[in-house]
Formats: sequence, structure tokens, C-alpha cells
Amino acid sequence: MEALNVPMADTPVVTFWEGEIVDIKNYTFFTGKWEAMPDDDIKHWTKFPSFAPFQSQVQADGGKSLDLSNYPFIFMRWKEQYFVNVGTDCGLTIAGFYYVCFSCADVTINGFYYDPNSSPFQKLELKSANEGKTGFSFSSYELQ
Amino acid sequence: MPTTASASSTSGPDGGPSSLVARLSSSDPDVKLKALREVKNQIIGSKTKKLSYIKLGAVPRVASILSAAIADGDCFQPAPAASVRGMLGYSSNVVVQSAAALGSFACGFDDGVQAVLAAGALPLLVRLLDHPDDKVVDAGARSLKMIYQSEFAPKYEILERGSLEFLVSLLNREGENVTELGAHIIAHSCRTFEEQKVMLEAGVLKRLVSLLDGSVGQRDASLGSLAAAFKNNSEVIKEFLGPHGGKSFNAILRLTMDSNAKTRLLACQCLIVIRDATDCYIQELGLNRKLVNTLLELLDDPGQVGDESPFVLSSLVLGKEDLHTIALEADAMVKFHDCMEKENVNPRRLRGVLLALADLCSKLEICRSTFLSMQVLKPLIGFLNHKEEDIRIAACTCLKNVTRSIKNLCAGYFMKNEALVTALVLLLMDASEEVQVAALGVVSNIVVDFTTQKSMFVAHEGMQQLFGLSKSMVPAVRSNALWALRNMTFLADDRCKEAVYLGMTPSLIADLICDDELSVQEQALALVRNLVDGSVESIEQVFADDGIILDAAGSQLQCGPNAEVLIQGMYVLGNIACGNEIHKEAVMCLLFPLVGRGPEPFFVNFLLSTDSRLRLATVWVLINLTLPSPGALNRQQRLQKEGVLSIVRSMVNDPCLDVKIRVKTLLTQTELGDF
Repeated sequence: MEALNVPMADTPVVTFWEGEIVDIKNYTFFTGKWEAMPDDDIKHWTKFPSFAPFQSQVQADGGKSLDLSNYPFIFMRWKEQYFVNVGTDCGLTIAGFYYVCFSCADVTINGFYYDPNSSPFQKLELKSANEGKTGFSFSSYELQ
Repeated sequence: MPTTASASSTSGPDGGPSSLVARLSSSDPDVKLKALREVKNQIIGSKTKKLSYIKLGAVPRVASILSAAIADGDCFQPAPAASVRGMLGYSSNVVVQSAAALGSFACGFDDGVQAVLAAGALPLLVRLLDHPDDKVVDAGARSLKMIYQSEFAPKYEILERGSLEFLVSLLNREGENVTELGAHIIAHSCRTFEEQKVMLEAGVLKRLVSLLDGSVGQRDASLGSLAAAFKNNSEVIKEFLGPHGGKSFNAILRLTMDSNAKTRLLACQCLIVIRDATDCYIQELGLNRKLVNTLLELLDDPGQVGDESPFVLSSLVLGKEDLHTIALEADAMVKFHDCMEKENVNPRRLRGVLLALADLCSKLEICRSTFLSMQVLKPLIGFLNHKEEDIRIAACTCLKNVTRSIKNLCAGYFMKNEALVTALVLLLMDASEEVQVAALGVVSNIVVDFTTQKSMFVAHEGMQQLFGLSKSMVPAVRSNALWALRNMTFLADDRCKEAVYLGMTPSLIADLICDDELSVQEQALALVRNLVDGSVESIEQVFADDGIILDAAGSQLQCGPNAEVLIQGMYVLGNIACGNEIHKEAVMCLLFPLVGRGPEPFFVNFLLSTDSRLRLATVWVLINLTLPSPGALNRQQRLQKEGVLSIVRSMVNDPCLDVKIRVKTLLTQTELGDF
């Protein structure tokens, strides 16, 4: 993730993050770590309109019988692990994590930052940038 | 001045090796017998001397002695009166000594086995198994055992008439060496489903299990032959062991705790064969942890068992994440690291350890992180310079799997390591193509460096090496060099891309797109895909030399048989279609190569492909062609007229979610142009 126009940094700040996709099988809507309690989880997920159909079931039993595989939204948690190009004194914090919702249809990402020691519900909004191109292009790599 | 030790050991009072070999053909039986004994004593435990006597022609002479003694005939008669027993005793002695000498040549030495076989000694030794004198039988069996422990032994045709009966008779005989021989023949020759089935039906497996209670040699030989009888045959295993394993399984399991290291190793191997064929017993009984622990302990054995144990561990854990976790918890990494740090490690053992580490790091990030936290990169880089080719390859294989760590790639952990980069670039110039391919595997990964400049690699002329290797005569080298270039150009800046165009030339790229090898075609197109992803200027480059690259891509799309090639080709078109009107129209020309109305456009088949990735790539091309722009309406009309949009409409309920969403995007986009 690259943050631009950071007041205390001379350059854009790049962080490395790891994500968890909520698929009910490997990861559920409940975080279970990073000082996030179930109440915190529900409060954040309900901020995404696309979560509404699942809210009651998740609150009842954690949503264990839900099948999200064909849902056009992907719920994730993103946890930044380290600063790639700056020190920890750059004025940014990576102590918390993001509740994230990716919309497959319009290719937008919305998120809310959670950190008990930071202001609540700081928003993350990402849109696809075509950089002057008239279309969507894809670069690829494949590890051996 | 005294003679040297080697000279005095080889040249006895009667001369050197040549003289000794000559005496094997002596007409004096005593001289001949003495020469036989001396040759046998000379070669025991020394591959150098075995080779030296083989070159002097000793083996055919020994075989000839044995043949003459057998042809004598008398030595196969039942024991006569005492007065003639002396002569027969002598004849049997010659047989025993010549058989023993042949066995010594073959013992643990493939060149020796081949020499013995070439001298026609095999049938002679087999005849000895019927001798009335147990010593002769034993000598014959021992020598045959040496032969059948080599991969060069001829296959024993178990299904041939009489063969199975003979094998069964060997297994049921009294002498240990004879029963071991029977087991070794099975281990060597039992390969097919039919052979395995016949073994089961003839009661051979039952007999082999009973031999697990025998001597060390019988146990070890039986474990090897049971493994051969079970290999890849779940039917035989289930029928023999039953639903829960039973006594036979327990007998094998017990041997994993035997006091003899080799027995423990062979027992583990046998259990792994059972696991691979049936995937039960081991899992159900929770034996994985036990096997891992046993094999790790065997690494402490200073001999051949310790050399082989990492290979057996690899076969246990290969591709299985749960076993990687178990091995990690059992401190496998620590043990392997300790082994790597030792001086003068046997190359076979070192190779095994490196490959086992590679397996452990193949899937789980936790294993890679643990590995890297142990500061093993430095010794590993050292092995990249090892004089043995196999070690260089094994070190590359290990590094390749470790460098799958996205976390560490992003941190620039590898690309910033000058020693690593230098060593790898050197390996790209290795005399061995296998080493080059192995090194390219590592390079392909470390050049996927999302943020750090690749300047270190470029400064060490890494890129130049890749350009050169893309022209190699060896397909694997070409495709892996292209793979590395493709990864290097992932989200790369224009400077990097220009360097690729300069280093490769459009003509070379076009040739590679049309290469005979599918893997080369795929990687070449994937490279072009990355080259044209980015600014509009980067798309322009692909039109150089009269669009030779584009033409090559187009021709592959029209006739390419392979989905992977087609997918990359369509993404090339999709990325080009992000450019200006000229670029988009160029893509249209490729999609509709015939002027006027021709047969159905070739890419319609892609929309109907069973491969969802190809369907998706094709839909993206159409999205990019019909995004609002000056010529979009004309393109939409063309697609409509050619029936393409009708086919797209039929995909609204595509089973693949990605395709379904993009089809919806495309149809929404083309609603205004819908005629």
C-alpha cells in the first residue's frame, strides 16, 4: 500500500500488508485477535451495505453456514506488517488493521481502520485508476 | 630406498596385478586357486582396485574358471566315498572362490555388476543354487544378492513360466543368503500391477512378512521387497493388510523402532509407499509425526543411512502442508541447518538436506520465515558455488522455494543481497544447462521485486544474461529465461521495458512467440503482455518493425492449441486495446483478419471455452474495445454484426463469478450500441 502526501514524510510511504479473506472456512467475520472483540467486528462490518444480508446470521451463529463464493463482494481484513521504504517515525501507524470490502462489479475497495488507540472508523476508499488509458490492462507475474 | 605402501600391496612376491590376472588362466590348478583368492582379497572394499582389475580383464577369466568348474559336472554329484572327496572338495573350493570373487566385483559397484553380467556369469551363479554343498549355494546366493541390489541387474521376469515357483522356492529355503536373494530379486523386479497381484496370490507377501522376524539381512531385504510389491497398488495393499492393517502392518511398524538404523529407514520407506498408494492406515493411526521424528533421528547416523534419510523424509512430506507443519514443530529446520554448517559433509547427504529443505519451504510461509530467521542464506549462497553440479542445483531448488515469500520479496530481502545476486548471475553462465535452468528458477522469483529497484541485478549484467539465454538451443533454458524477464517487467517502469526491447529486439520476441515449444510461446506472450501494460507509449513499442510482434501474437491466437498461450495472447490484445484509437483498431484487425464477412471469428471459440480464464481474458478485450471513445460505437456495431455480442449475452449466467460480472459490465457498456 502506498500512501501519498504524508505530512511528515518526504516520499510516499509504502507498507507491506497481509490479508485474510472471509470465506467462513479459513476466516470468519470474527477477527479473534488484534484487540478486536466481536462487537467491534459487527460494528465495522455493518458499515458496509453489502454486509446487510448476512448480519443477523453472523450475529446468531457467526455465519458458519454462509456461502460467500458467489457473492459479488469480498470481505477481508488487511494487516500492515512493516514499512518498506521509511522508518517507523514517519507519522503513520500500522498498529491496527482494516476491515475491507471489495466490490467486484465496480472494482472499488472500501475499508475502515481499527485500532483501539486511534480515531475510530477512519475510512479507506480505493478506486481503479486507469492512468490515462481507455481500458483495463493487466500485468502478470508467476512465481516458480 | 624402501618401496611405497601401494606398490608393495599390489605387487606381491609374484609380480603386480597384470601378473596376478595372468595367473587366473594358469594350467596349474593350485596357482589358479591361489590367484583367485588373491584377487578376491585385493578387491574387497576398494572400488579403485575393482576397476583396475576389471580393466585388466580379470572378470571374464574368473567367470571362465567358474564355468569350467561347473562344466566339470562332478561337483554337482551327491557326495561320494571319502577317497574321492578331496578332489570334489577342491572343485567346490574353486567354485566358492570364483563365485565370491565375482560377488566382490559386484558388491556396491555398478561397473563391477556390469562387468560380471557382461562376462555371462549370471546363469553360472544361478546354477550354484542347486549345488548339494551348502557352502557353494551360499557363495552363489551371496554373489547374486550383490548383483540384484544394483539397478543394472536384469529384470527377473516374474510372470514367465516357472519363474514364480523358483522365487517361492528361494524364499522358503533354509539359508539366509538364499532367502535374502529371493527378496532382493522381488525388490528389484516386481514392478507391474500383474506382478504385484501374482505375488499376493502366491502367498509371497505372507512369507516376506514372516521374514521380518528373521535376521537383519532378511528383514531389510523383505522390507524392500514389500515396498516393491505395494508400490502404487492400493488393491494389493488393502487385500493384504485388510481394513485396519492387522499383524502385517504392525510388523512393519514395529521395525521403525528397531535397533538397526537401516532397518528403521527401510521400514519408514515401506510405510510411506503404503501411504502413497492408499492414503489410509498412516493418517488414521496418526503415524505421520512418528515417521517424521524417526527420519530426523536417522540424520544423526554417520553412514549411508544418514545420507539417505533426508531423501526419504522428502518423499514423506512432499506437497503435504500438514506434514510440513509437523516437520517444523519437530525442529527439522534446526537439524538441517546444523548439517549444512558442518564441514566436509558427504555430497549425497548435503544434496538430500537441501532438497528436503526445499520441500519444507515449498508451500508454507511460516517455514520460509523460520528458515530465513536462522540466517541460512549465507551458507546456502556458498553452496551455489559448490564444485558438484548436483549441489548447485539442489541449492537453487531450495532458494527457489524460499524466494516464494512475497513478504520478503516486498522487503527487497533478496535483491539487496549482493552476494546472492552475484552468485546467481554467475550460475546463469554455468557450463551445465541444468544448473542454468535451476538458477533461472531463483532469478524468476527474486526479480519480482515490487518496490526495490532491480539495479543490483542489472549492474551485474543479469539482464544481459537473460537476453542471451532466451536464445539458447535448449527449450527449458529459453522458456525459463523468458519467465524471468516476464517477472522482471511486472509493473516495471518504461526504462526497464526499453532495456528489454533493446536487448531482445522485436524480431527475436516475434520468433519466440512462434517458438516450437509451448512453454516458450506462453512466456514470450506473457512478457509482451507486461511490456504493453502501462503508458500509451509502452504500447507503441509493440508496433515497431511493421508490427512484427503483433502479427506473431495474432497468428498464435488463430492457431495456438494451448489455453495458456491463448490466455496470454488475449491479455496482450486487451492491454493494447487500452491505448489510443490506432491501437484499438489494430486489435480489431487482429480479431477480424478477413476483409468483409468471413467465417465465424476465431475468438468466439474463446468465449465458449471450458477454461474460465480464457473466457475472462476475451471479455476484457471486448470491454476495452467498447469503452466510450471516438471509435467505440463502430466497434460495437461490428461486434454486434458478427454475432459476438449475442454470444456474450448467452454468458450472463456464466458459472464463473468473474466472467459473469465482466459480461454484465460489457453488456451494460454496449447497451447504447445495441441494434
